[in-house]
Amino acid sequence: MASQSLFVKAQNTTLPKSLRPTSPPPENVPKHKHVKDLKLRTKLNRQAAHAARSKALVEDAELLLTSEAGKMQVETELERTWRIGQDDIVQGAGEEAAKGRRELKLDGGPYRSRYSRNGRHLAIVGSMGHVATFDWQTGTMHAELQLQETCRDITFLQDQSFFAVAQKKYVFIYDRDGVELHRLKAHIEPTRLEFLPYHWLLASVGNNGFLKYQDTSTGHIVAEHRTKLGACHTLAQNKHNAVLYLGHSNGVVTLWTPNIPHPAVQIMAHLGPVVGLSVDPGSGGRYMATSGQDGVVKVWDCRNWKGTVREWTTRGGGAELEWSARGALSVAVGGSVNVYTKPSIQTPHSAKAPPPLYLTHPIPHRPLTSVRFCPFQDILTIGHNAGLSSILVPGVGEPNFDSTEADPFENKKARREREVKGLLDKIQPDMITLDPDFVGALAPPTKLTTAVNDTHDIPFARLPRLERLRVQGKADETELVDDDDEDAAAEGDGDKNDKPQSRAEKEKRKMRGKGKSLKRYLRKQRKNVIDPTAVAIRAKLEKQREEKRVAKAIETGQMEARKPSALDRFRRP
Amino acid sequence: MVKISVLQHAPSVHLPARPGDPTPTTRNLDPLMHPFARARERNRALNAAKMDRLFAKPFVGALEGHIDAVEVLCKKPGSLSAVASGSWDGGIILHNVSERKHIRRIQGAHKGKVSGLCFAQDDRLLSCGVDSKIKLWDASPQDDITEQRPLNEYPGKSAFNSIDHHRSDPLFATASNIVQIWDETKSAAISNLTFPTSTETITSVRFNLSETSVLGSIGSDRTFTLYDIRTGKAERRVIMQMSSNALAWSPTFPTNVLLASEDHNLYTFDVRQLKTPTHIYKGHVAAVMSCDWSPTGLDFVSGGWDRTVRIWKEGQGTGPEVYHTKRMQRVSSSIFTADARFVLTGSDDGNVRIWKAKASEKLGIITARERAAIEYRDTLKDRWKHDNEVGRIQRNRHLPKPVYQAAKLKRTMLDTRAVKEERRRKHTRAGESKPHAERKKVIIVEQT
Repeated sequence: MASQSLFVKAQNTTLPKSLRPTSPPPENVPKHKHVKDLKLRTKLNRQAAHAARSKALVEDAELLLTSEAGKMQVETELERTWRIGQDDIVQGAGEEAAKGRRELKLDGGPYRSRYSRNGRHLAIVGSMGHVATFDWQTGTMHAELQLQETCRDITFLQDQSFFAVAQKKYVFIYDRDGVELHRLKAHIEPTRLEFLPYHWLLASVGNNGFLKYQDTSTGHIVAEHRTKLGACHTLAQNKHNAVLYLGHSNGVVTLWTPNIPHPAVQIMAHLGPVVGLSVDPGSGGRYMATSGQDGVVKVWDCRNWKGTVREWTTRGGGAELEWSARGALSVAVGGSVNVYTKPSIQTPHSAKAPPPLYLTHPIPHRPLTSVRFCPFQDILTIGHNAGLSSILVPGVGEPNFDSTEADPFENKKARREREVKGLLDKIQPDMITLDPDFVGALAPPTKLTTAVNDTHDIPFARLPRLERLRVQGKADETELVDDDDEDAAAEGDGDKNDKPQSRAEKEKRKMRGKGKSLKRYLRKQRKNVIDPTAVAIRAKLEKQREEKRVAKAIETGQMEARKPSALDRFRRP
Repeated sequence: MVKISVLQHAPSVHLPARPGDPTPTTRNLDPLMHPFARARERNRALNAAKMDRLFAKPFVGALEGHIDAVEVLCKKPGSLSAVASGSWDGGIILHNVSERKHIRRIQGAHKGKVSGLCFAQDDRLLSCGVDSKIKLWDASPQDDITEQRPLNEYPGKSAFNSIDHHRSDPLFATASNIVQIWDETKSAAISNLTFPTSTETITSVRFNLSETSVLGSIGSDRTFTLYDIRTGKAERRVIMQMSSNALAWSPTFPTNVLLASEDHNLYTFDVRQLKTPTHIYKGHVAAVMSCDWSPTGLDFVSGGWDRTVRIWKEGQGTGPEVYHTKRMQRVSSSIFTADARFVLTGSDDGNVRIWKAKASEKLGIITARERAAIEYRDTLKDRWKHDNEVGRIQRNRHLPKPVYQAAKLKRTMLDTRAVKEERRRKHTRAGESKPHAERKKVIIVEQT
């Protein structure tokens, strides 16, 4: 028969040499041995190898980061970095870096400031209506306006070509040259502004307690949230998940996203009004710092909100706060600015003492109304009554910028290019959540809604594909993460030798009984309160335990069972 | 003494050295520097999927000239542009596809329809018709494109349904009630091939492209038969549930054969294992009338009675690319061009249509930058295809209402049938009847 002769062996095909990867193949790549389909397995293996290889390459890419971060290092134990004044730092800094130390003496304060995302441009606003934007490195002024009314905040939009000012009654948008483009009448009596660059949202909060999001690419109001907590004077954004943090006058801090009409998180942070609020960008938004009118500064862990990581009292009332890109916290309170650095400020500390000081700088022009770190520079700009002061804080700025995100040296063409790319990549406002990594994560396994006790009446032909595979025993559930497994792993040693249990089995073996509810009751009671019910339950449990112990001892033969006597009939049960 | 150093960027590193130089860029791959990286990438994937659908304009043009329905199309081996089409009116036209002109136009080449066409060596064309004649034509470009006289004529005994030429030798095979092998130089068939017990009409015959003496045929008796001209007999045949309308051998994997079946499906078989098809391709809502492999062997095209053309990926049985127009009627023939970039279809409305094989592909010169962008978009689409929204946009195809309704109805009917079968099984004695895999149901019997 021709069947033998029909077979023609295909030649092996390989990638050309120039396209082959140069690095050695990665080790410890999952082999996907459980996958039967050869084609699929090969594909998965190739993908895994590719992923491992690119991961290794990313690690290697750190070698290519050329710029070095600034630093201040003491040599002996007796020296302190906070003793170093600005004059010494300026002397020690390079010529280019020393330009960062400036004093702007301006009337009409107090002033607030804001840097553009690439750190090249600075916008300032005085409460009497003096607004200016400029390239602070070359000293070119873009626009200078005397608005003749109260201005409360300023922010750049996507780049230096637009900025928004929170004025007496509305928010206004100006272009780079200071021409008024829009009057946003929806934002009434705004006090603070934030711009979410990846969502193109301008958010404002005002005296009427409304948080409003406006899409600056389409002009639509995306969300208006009534906070129901009165006038609000504190607003901060988490750069990593675009959640807005509001600090209210009753000491509550609330977290907002555009798609839910109530706060995602609400915590009672202070006993008086919240004054300063900032989220740490250097740890992916893990830590938040708040300060209140009660003079307390608190650092919170945003993962669990269980109390503060650290708190201390400052003198002089409410403090303005700002985290730098590398995790230094600046606290402007009273007549000075203090900067604290990373490991100490994030490690839990029970005593209410301030963390070790990194740098301090006195400013004799109270009040200090804003602190801003300049991105990609070791500069801290403080707004106060007599203008603005920029001081050098070595080691707080991220030394290596990424040109695709923010480039201080970008030219006109690159700016335009990035604006268009940014618009194309605009993320929809309803994608803002507390966990930004939910995009592209595995969906939770679906459950058939009609199933009662895991049995349903749906014919096989009408089942969804995954269910069919499950019925046939062909479903590959190796990638599924069972949350019970993690608990079991944490619990430990005893079960390790046993076979891994299925979820249903575990559910079945879970201890349920009378004893448990009693124990739960006791656990929920406060230990130091003497409650007659709790005492009774404790006694009952003790009795049960004793009975069990006796029964076990009898079983093992350590103890003899008490012989029944005639007097037993009089015993209390 | 305290060591102090303050961060500063040297402008000389970050600014172009001379005017006109590109501005140097720097990268920092720290994930903290790229917030929302995943969300932004998904957005790009979504845009890529949308752009792909936006630019999906597959129809390139139509080649006119036939008075009646186009029955058969064939491309010239080794040529990118020469294609012959035969029609129900008995006319044959040789097209130059790239210029969209006629090379030759033969009116009334046969009485009745032209049922088979194939190119022979030295720029000649073989045609057969229901008038029981095979004619050999000169297919080279001439001054008078309407030259009518054939080079040679081979008389047959019954109406021919199909013709195919040997890959290298001057032999060709025809299909009528038997398969006949002809020598170009002889006026009668040199051998007759038939399965011993067969009494059917052979509808199509094709030589294998690699093992050149093997040929396959399909017949009205729902059969697929394999012959070898060296032994001069039929080697093996299978009888299927429904008869097939067309067959095509894979150009890259010689043992693979594709059958376009009357039951709306396409089947690929490995001829070493004829018991089950290797894949079933489901999508058409009426009989599949024609099929042809891409020269790469990775895709194939099929045209159906449902007035749609579908382009399938080998090994992927669902979700084909679907082409249709308002004016296109039942598609009776479809072929891939030799560069795998275009698809030609002949339909009952008398037109030969040219389609792009990839609906959103840009024709014309593509710059390196554009190519890089296209490749990036393709990667994104592939990486995010499991995302609900991206996948939905990628999969969704607009269908003519009758096709859509027919597909819906068909799905309902098949579902109901499966459910009924299952319920019946549930109420019969255990082990009485077992469910069979879909692939096992296709073949009734294999005969040798």
